Amino acid sequence: MSDEENRNPNDMTVLQSSEVKPGAVQPNASISRKLREFYDAVQEEGIPDRFLDLLERLEQAEKNAKSVNAK
Amino acid sequence: MSQEEEIDDRGFKRDLLSSLPNLRAFAVSLTGRHDKADDLVQDTIMKAWANQSSFTAGTNMRAWLFTILRNEFYSQMRKRGREVQDSDGLFSERFSVHPEQYGRLDLQDFRKALDKLPDDQREAIVLVGAAGFAYEEAAAICGCAVGTIKSRVSRARTRLQELLGVSGESDYGPDAGDAAITARAFGS
Repeated sequence: MSDEENRNPNDMTVLQSSEVKPGAVQPNASISRKLREFYDAVQEEGIPDRFLDLLERLEQAEKNAKSVNAK
Repeated sequence: MSQEEEIDDRGFKRDLLSSLPNLRAFAVSLTGRHDKADDLVQDTIMKAWANQSSFTAGTNMRAWLFTILRNEFYSQMRKRGREVQDSDGLFSERFSVHPEQYGRLDLQDFRKALDKLPDDQREAIVLVGAAGFAYEEAAAICGCAVGTIKSRVSRARTRLQELLGVSGESDYGPDAGDAAITARAFGS
């Protein structure tokens, strides 16, 4: 779980060793695999342009507001 | 603006962007539809952006974003006066609209089965089984106890097995026995 590194280590309890990765240890391998395939297929669609545009606009609006405040 | 602030801003946007595909997949899982999911993601981005100051740098932004999206989803559902557990009704509504939106053919059966789960079970199994959260993180996102998440994940697995009629192949054997035990243990 490479992206879990910034988690507070105190969050983890005794469950860590056997239960953090249910897909790896649960018996229902076929269900787990299909779930991940479904999920990954959506993730692989990438980021729609509308969100990139939205973030661009939010960022620009913030910059404008700050430059007005600075004057 | 100080240079430091500017760097922080860029970090926030960068982290947000890197979480988006995962967040969007969660939204699709919750809503069952791409169009509704993208509206939900858009609302989440705007909320997150407006509340940047409440995000503690260095903590898990992905969990923070998922929490916002989940809250937004349930609050919109309540506003529409929809029964949270009405998954059969949602199912028929979802799948009567744009069938071509539901992605790869071989995953459509799975997606339909996932949609039939009660919302609490669906979100639990998606958070833990696909989005990459530990049980503890999923519990924090859903605002419930770790044990509750575990039992929801377990019931979701059992229900999905039933719905998909997992049979033949190598899916039986020890798995079937375990599933039966799980089903008994959780009385589902």
